[in-house]
Amino acid sequence: MSNELSSLVVIFTEFYYWVTVVFMFLIHVGFCMYEVGASRYKSHMHTLMKNTMLIPLVTITFFFFGWWIYFAFVNGPGINGGLVSAPWATPWSELMGGHMGGLATQDTLTVDDTAYWSRINGVFWAAFLLFSWTAASIVSGSVIERIRPSAFWILAVLIGSVTWIIDAAWGWSWNGWMVQLLGYHDAYASGVIHAIAGGFALGVLVVLGPRIGKFAPDGTPRDINPHNPWLVTIGLFLIYTGFWGFYVACNIPIIDVYGGAMLDVADKSYFSATNIYLQPTTLSAITFNFLMSLSGGLMAAYIVSKGDAFWTYSGGLAGVIGASAGNDLYHPIQAMLIGAFVVVIIYRMHFWVERRFKIDDAVGAVAVHGYAGFLGVVIAGFMLWGYPSSPFEGYAPITPWGQFLGAIIMFFVLGFFPALIASKILNGMGLLRIPREIEMVGLDINTEEQREEDARALREAIRSEA
Amino acid sequence: MATGMIENWGNIDVYGPIYPFVGSEGFLAIAGIAFWIIWHIWQLKAESREFEEDVEKIKQRGGVGSVLDAEAKRETSDLTGG
Repeated sequence: MSNELSSLVVIFTEFYYWVTVVFMFLIHVGFCMYEVGASRYKSHMHTLMKNTMLIPLVTITFFFFGWWIYFAFVNGPGINGGLVSAPWATPWSELMGGHMGGLATQDTLTVDDTAYWSRINGVFWAAFLLFSWTAASIVSGSVIERIRPSAFWILAVLIGSVTWIIDAAWGWSWNGWMVQLLGYHDAYASGVIHAIAGGFALGVLVVLGPRIGKFAPDGTPRDINPHNPWLVTIGLFLIYTGFWGFYVACNIPIIDVYGGAMLDVADKSYFSATNIYLQPTTLSAITFNFLMSLSGGLMAAYIVSKGDAFWTYSGGLAGVIGASAGNDLYHPIQAMLIGAFVVVIIYRMHFWVERRFKIDDAVGAVAVHGYAGFLGVVIAGFMLWGYPSSPFEGYAPITPWGQFLGAIIMFFVLGFFPALIASKILNGMGLLRIPREIEMVGLDINTEEQREEDARALREAIRSEA
Repeated sequence: MATGMIENWGNIDVYGPIYPFVGSEGFLAIAGIAFWIIWHIWQLKAESREFEEDVEKIKQRGGVGSVLDAEAKRETSDLTGG
């Protein structure tokens, strides 16, 4: 840190990720508002706490093992090599704490480790962690009003600190085996966050079952309307806002693309932002595409839902998610059309799956995140067919079949099946679903009665003063 | 007595970890993981107890129907400001 320019690059990078974390916090604020607004009055306090408490639980477990998984599991392990050593990411590493980059006290760390990770580790960890919260929070909305909070928190740790970060190691890192062997490309996480979270939610819902009263005896679904539609819409607006931070966090802000171990072009430098695969991109490009895919999604959703506010807002989100895999490279009008196309498909799929399989997804998360993410990955395979998946030599190019296989891995292998198995275990132990009587009267029975008693006591106190 | 390795801020360029009790990281990791697991166990037991009490309370109030009627009155009262 003795050279002003190189120090500026390091401190800018540190600050850049820190800012993304603050923006992404708004995603969680939005999810909490959305879920509370979508739940019925008699369960909203438990709904809020269910989502809130995933924050500390996923945070500490991501500290204990999630961060290490990201670096250690890039080869599978066992698919393209063994476990990779990552001494800067273990919970006992001195680099998982305040560090000035000087002499290490632990033998496992090299001089390069301390120089590189001392200022980046915490903010980079936090940027990934906020993705972890998002993955768990997506699942949270779909299971409201009948899952036991304790069961949800175990499932939240499973997706937030284990399965999603395995998929990031495999398909969302510069050296993941899916990138190297399949040419997997998912720049803004259509698959690695949204498809896996949607698939995970579906796996839980299959075992959990619908809310009481959701389906008529003949199987016709009933609408269970949000108790506060305004909270829902503000929540979704906040999720849009936080999504900006999410997009920016997916980039590396400044790197010499011609230097280091990548292209290694002699006597030339090219400083640029890159995506997670270290392929150059610009904030300008992704800003065009974020807004155009959002607009495509909103417009299509407004048409297919006949102006339904809930689905129009969700469609905006699905539009972005559907284009995200290739939003580093698409033309803005391509991003808009992809966003619109994806929304038409996922809207129809949501209602078809609801009727056909009696799946009660309270907030449409499986469709908005899962199906849109899956489609986004597959569409990128056709749109970006033949593009190099990485600046590194020897990696497979992007193909439709590599992307299709990648989407299957994200949605089913790391999303649906782990959730199905974990939910069946929890259900077998009687821990998955709340007791029937409590579901009927609402989880907040104690809170509501206490509130009524407090109000009565206050009324009487005021009367006695009068 | 000093809990940390920092003797002065004049040699900051050579310092590594700056938190107190450097060398205790392994113990801290075990303590942290234990805290996490114990929290889940405690919460699971507390939640089971809460649900058992709630089910009992519903029975005492005359069953689900009576509680739902009381809820409906409460919601009406909230809406009308009563």
